[in-house]
Amino acid sequence: MTDIPLARPERHVPVWAQGLIGQMLALLIALAGGAVIIWLVGESPLHVYEVLLRGALGSAENVAGSLLQATPIIVCGVAACVALRGGLFNIGVEGQLYVGGFAAAWVGFTLNLPAGLHVVVGLGAGMLAGALWIILPAIMRARFNANEVVSTILMNYVAVLLTSYLTIAVFKRPGGWSETAPIAQTAYLPQLMDGSRVNLGLIIGLALALGLYLFLRYTGAGYAVSTMGSNPKFAAYGGVRVKRNIVAVLLTSGAIGGLAGGIETLGVHRRFMEGFAPGFGFDGVIAALLANGNPLGVVVAALFFGALRKGSLLMEVETGASREIITVIQALIILCVSAQILIRRRGGISGEKRWKF
Amino acid sequence: MTRLHSLRSARTALTGAALAAALAFSGGAWAKEPLRVAAVSGYFSQGFGVSIMQGLEKAKADFGIDLTIVDTGNRALDYEEQFNNLATGDYDLIFVMGWELVDALQKTSDANPEQHFIFIDGVLESPNMTYIDFVEEEGSFLVGALTGLLTDAGAEGFTDSKQVGFLGGRDIPVIRNFLVGMQEGVAFVAPDVTVVDVFAGTFDDPAKGSELSMALYDKGIDVIYQAAGPTGEGVLQAATAAGRLAVGVDIDQCPSAPGAILASMLKRADVAVYAMIKGEVDGSNPVVPGAVSVGIASGGVEIKVCDDMLPRIPAEVMTRMEEIRAGVASGEIAVALNK
Repeated sequence: MTDIPLARPERHVPVWAQGLIGQMLALLIALAGGAVIIWLVGESPLHVYEVLLRGALGSAENVAGSLLQATPIIVCGVAACVALRGGLFNIGVEGQLYVGGFAAAWVGFTLNLPAGLHVVVGLGAGMLAGALWIILPAIMRARFNANEVVSTILMNYVAVLLTSYLTIAVFKRPGGWSETAPIAQTAYLPQLMDGSRVNLGLIIGLALALGLYLFLRYTGAGYAVSTMGSNPKFAAYGGVRVKRNIVAVLLTSGAIGGLAGGIETLGVHRRFMEGFAPGFGFDGVIAALLANGNPLGVVVAALFFGALRKGSLLMEVETGASREIITVIQALIILCVSAQILIRRRGGISGEKRWKF
Repeated sequence: MTRLHSLRSARTALTGAALAAALAFSGGAWAKEPLRVAAVSGYFSQGFGVSIMQGLEKAKADFGIDLTIVDTGNRALDYEEQFNNLATGDYDLIFVMGWELVDALQKTSDANPEQHFIFIDGVLESPNMTYIDFVEEEGSFLVGALTGLLTDAGAEGFTDSKQVGFLGGRDIPVIRNFLVGMQEGVAFVAPDVTVVDVFAGTFDDPAKGSELSMALYDKGIDVIYQAAGPTGEGVLQAATAAGRLAVGVDIDQCPSAPGAILASMLKRADVAVYAMIKGEVDGSNPVVPGAVSVGIASGGVEIKVCDDMLPRIPAEVMTRMEEIRAGVASGEIAVALNK
């Protein structure tokens, strides 16, 4: 966080601590708001939160389940983070996840390759599909300054419907649900432990987050991207080739989004199902925003969301509170964090304007 | 009772032996523990799912069962863990509805073969589960009989066409069940009437359903029986647009296109679910693995003529339909199944 000038010089709280205190406060307010809603539906907030916690972290299997839920959010979060740091807003991670997932599954069930290579080619196809999926918005942004928020959102719908079409009309497994044939065993992304579907994707996600953090912090190219994000005119003045970088940043972001889909289909579902993962892309974008564009923060936010999701599954079974309560809590967190940003801005602190609408 | 206890968790197994002993002496005059029932689906707010909920709620009111409803949502990632959360031995019966859940369900059921899962509206491969299998042929037989009789009688809304229509979603065995039943029903009452069948090739395309129905209506066909899910909604719309008739399926579709729907072939999930819980609670018909066929006799499948159509239907047709219905229920009229 130290590279983001948030603090007033006269304050004596360190910058990183300020950010942390703010996010913790947001979390507490959101949990309190959630408690009120749980109380309103006639359940005991304490009991519901106890079940939520137990469902998320109560046993080794539950922790594994939380990590499983967090994996796609981490990868999608990193994808969104790349764009965010370059001053761009890729809200099309969802669509890239879908096309990436489909492309990886397609490689999985059509090609015949040896074990290790099959996975690599599958994930590669996912990344390629994700990158291709954002190429149009990227070029339009670089050449014509067309707002990438709108174009990437629109591409989401096309991606979801296109993969649905391909699944139902072209590659449907005979009989059964709207899904493709299962992928070959050689294309299975290895699982990390027995009895859980947590897979290598988690490690890939963590490595990506760390890699992005180091890249932004310690390399010249990373500095160029950050500068472009915080002040594009200054970056251009300083010799950064902004247009080329816009395309590069968005393609990278799209490729990582596609990778997230590949990890899900090769590591978890082992086939492509119509509408297989609604919302992970958006969860990733939210995690990136919450973390203020810090890749390591993305991991923390994603782990938190993953734990919430996993815990909510037990909550649904053991309490009368609907699983959707956690969606409300998430929304409250987002509100609190955005409010914080507004308050800081009013305080005359600049440096939050890293994406524009 | 003892069988039931063998299913329950280790927690209650401890008291199980004592309870069984007590039962043996008291002759059953024992306040039973309520049956613990869970139901899992993503569709509890829609047609068929609402019907399941009605059955469960009724069972809750009548037998005081413990009822847990689990909404699966739409994330495939969650399904397996949701089943694992339930298959802990805390539930005596777990009802499941939705084909997208099948893979996760099979996995959990294989890992917990003692857990009683009941899959609604289909038969899967696993020998551990119970399946509620609606006999679509019998309900469709009545649809065939009704449309055949009305065609022959030249009732209001029927021209001199000697054809009735059938529109299926995909050409798959379960949809063939509907067609075969209808053909038999028509042949039973009106050998001179034939069934013209088309398959849309999809369950998700109302526009296609509408288009294909229009083609059938253009041929002079007066009534189309649809078994095509959302595609079938297009049939109902086309019937309104063409001023002809359609027959709905699964749930009471009369209100969705008033004046254009003759009847609906109902799959009464509420009746089937309620009957299954009742059999388990009073011990008259405990749930065992395997397929349970639910047909006309048990009231799980039936035909409902739309109220606004009743005046159009000649009295003798209604009388005949009653006879046929009774015949099918008693087995006097054998409806051949589509195998």
